[in-house]
Amino acid sequence: MPRQALEGIRILDLTQVAVGPYSTLMLGLMGAQVIKVESNRRPDTSRGAVKPRANQVALYPGQDPGERPWNRSAHLVHRNRYKLGITLDATSPEGKALFMRLAAQCDALMENYRASVIDRWGLSYAVLSEVNPQLVYLKLSSQGNTGPERDYGSLGSTMECTGGLASITGYRDGVPLMTNETYPDPVAGVLAVGALLAGLRYRRRTGRGVFIDFSQREVTTCLLGDAVLDYTMNGRIQAPTGNRHPTYAPHGVYPCQGEDCWIAIAVRNDQEWQGLQRALGGPAWASDPMFADASGRWHHQEALDAHLSAWSRGQEHYQAMHLLQAHGVPAGAALKGREVAQDPHLEARDWWDRTVYPEVGRAYSYISTPWMLSKSPRGPGVPAPGLGEHNGFVYSELLGVSEEELQRLEERGVIATEPLWEPAM
Amino acid sequence: MPQSNSILGDLTVLDLTQGVPGPYCTKLLAALGARVVKVEPLKGDVARTMGPFFHDEPHPEKSGLFLYLNTSKESITLNLETATGQGLLKRLAAKADLLVESYPPGAMEGWGLGYRRLAPLNPRLIYAAITNFGQSGPYKDYKSPEIVAEALGALLYTIGLPEREPLKIGGNAALMTGGIAAFSAVMVALHQRDDTGEGQFIDCSLMEATVASQIHSSIHAQFGDHDPGRRASQLSKTRDGWVNVGIQQATWRPFCEMIGRPDLIADPRFADQVARRDNAAAFNEVIEGWLATQSKEEVYHKLQAIRSIAGYVATVPDLLQSEQYRQRSFFRPVDHPFTGAVLYPGPPFQVGDQPWRQERAPLLGEHNEAVYCGELGLPRAELALLRTQGAI
Repeated sequence: MPRQALEGIRILDLTQVAVGPYSTLMLGLMGAQVIKVESNRRPDTSRGAVKPRANQVALYPGQDPGERPWNRSAHLVHRNRYKLGITLDATSPEGKALFMRLAAQCDALMENYRASVIDRWGLSYAVLSEVNPQLVYLKLSSQGNTGPERDYGSLGSTMECTGGLASITGYRDGVPLMTNETYPDPVAGVLAVGALLAGLRYRRRTGRGVFIDFSQREVTTCLLGDAVLDYTMNGRIQAPTGNRHPTYAPHGVYPCQGEDCWIAIAVRNDQEWQGLQRALGGPAWASDPMFADASGRWHHQEALDAHLSAWSRGQEHYQAMHLLQAHGVPAGAALKGREVAQDPHLEARDWWDRTVYPEVGRAYSYISTPWMLSKSPRGPGVPAPGLGEHNGFVYSELLGVSEEELQRLEERGVIATEPLWEPAM
Repeated sequence: MPQSNSILGDLTVLDLTQGVPGPYCTKLLAALGARVVKVEPLKGDVARTMGPFFHDEPHPEKSGLFLYLNTSKESITLNLETATGQGLLKRLAAKADLLVESYPPGAMEGWGLGYRRLAPLNPRLIYAAITNFGQSGPYKDYKSPEIVAEALGALLYTIGLPEREPLKIGGNAALMTGGIAAFSAVMVALHQRDDTGEGQFIDCSLMEATVASQIHSSIHAQFGDHDPGRRASQLSKTRDGWVNVGIQQATWRPFCEMIGRPDLIADPRFADQVARRDNAAAFNEVIEGWLATQSKEEVYHKLQAIRSIAGYVATVPDLLQSEQYRQRSFFRPVDHPFTGAVLYPGPPFQVGDQPWRQERAPLLGEHNEAVYCGELGLPRAELALLRTQGAI
């Protein structure tokens, strides 16, 4: 396999749940060596329960938690591919000493704990930069590392609210809605890749490490810059507009054949409108003079939507999309989870990562990077680490800890691998 | 002016993108110090025709969308469909570090400006193509404005209420995310070039950026063997707006005590996260009396104080007044001859004490003379000729 872009970069990954693991997944896919640090009492919550209850088994391969459910849960195996996994109780003095030795050998560190937690553990940038002045430390915080809310907790779902995105998302009744996809999480995760590399380039140019203050809330607000300017320029507070567009029409989501199947259609100019008419076989209603120009279509979009829905109800959503696109009309089937995992276009581009992992036993479509580099291949498939799976490699080979010492550390619980956490929420 | 000692201060970026994703990518590069030269068609970046406009007056220098996405860049005009334009672009590309473009697949090749033509002139060039569906595959020539991107990205289907049609996220969320993905991709390729001295081609697909921004749908569907659909709203109404109360297992008791309802602690309808979600309507009924007496921001602070992961639905004016944002000087004024000084969102991340560059967007063709005469050494008379011939 040709050289990957980030080969030779070692990243200490203290993140858990979604944003951080997503980011280090991307870095791992590009060749960085990512060392995921957990403790056997405080693992990544994506590992789920030690003994899942009957109503918690939905997200295991074949709905079977198996003998080691903590190594098989869907979110764990999905978001933590391309990483090594070690256990370490960084709150004990011995664990902390080990952690410092490890930090001294890494290029970068990423964490997403509350500010007060990291301070209490003595793992803040101020402390670690003493041990490793070249360390690039990215704090993926909820609100940034300063300010009155620096210690507030968040989830992707609450970021949508506090970052302003929910205030412009919703149907035309004006009631705000959240996405159900904790949208800011993956977005911030992808941006953190570039932010971390900016830190590494700072180091390359100055010879010094650096602290990166990354606020997920601010990342979210940056997504709606034009809405911010509409207020600061015009005093307008944008409200949810459903699927409508401020100038394009028709612009919406229309029902198709089958259960809960939909297609999104957007017509932005006369050319696309003519394409739509051709695609539909030149229906009589479309030649109504009120639809003749963009302004007429925008003012009569209620009527347009009714006509289009009447047509779309008889269509299969994928076929309708191909038909419309063939006539130059922007249209997209509203893909469901299983559909996108098998979508022919992504298939043709070999986009999904389909590696079969021993703990999982069968192939699933896992996401890969939203970019393809001509000189840095993704992969090759590395499964998510079992709890403490790489203790031997990391402690013995990287840190030179002896076999006896390793055993002693395990017995004393510093690098224990027996899962000892509370049942998941 | 960029400072040469900033993170990307040694780089020149040729920005042939328009609309939202490409310009957001190059805005981030400019903020880190790169010199970004926007190469606009004679009519300008299409975003100049998109609202919201300053005082609602459509004008190429008054688009809020354009002004926000093009801070800290220079602008030149160039007609890539003319032989003269193609020649000038090659001269610029020979000296650039990065070229970012968002034309449909094949367009740049058609003008003799594809990566294969430019790489021999400049082997260090990183060439990033940002397209709707990437450079290959059956959808590569399909169109994809925001709502289509969200549909094919498997986001749209899960958003909105179960009894209604799927709902688009407000604004240009998917297009912006495409720009973010392109930015990170460029940073990866740059890291490799700093190591090896070689440039490369980057294929960025908006669809793939959107699919990568759903982290539940495709995984729940495959492991759980059912397609996750739309769910009831998880927002509750306060005196002046909406909150997501985000009660965790550990905060249920302190929450009940705080609202003066200790009787609810043991209520089986709200015993755990799943039960509270299943009984969302009853849960809202129980808490709405308390919420009705509070403001959304008060509720947010009170719940965070008991370590509940709560959020309030902030509008733009709420954000401008947020004490958190004020103390971090997140919103920053940008002065522009057509709008005066206006507040813009600031940095999404801050690298040490490196300045986040945020200067006004360029006027169309503002830097023609500086670039063509100053940099490429064309005589001023030649510039006039090129103008007359419709090349710039």
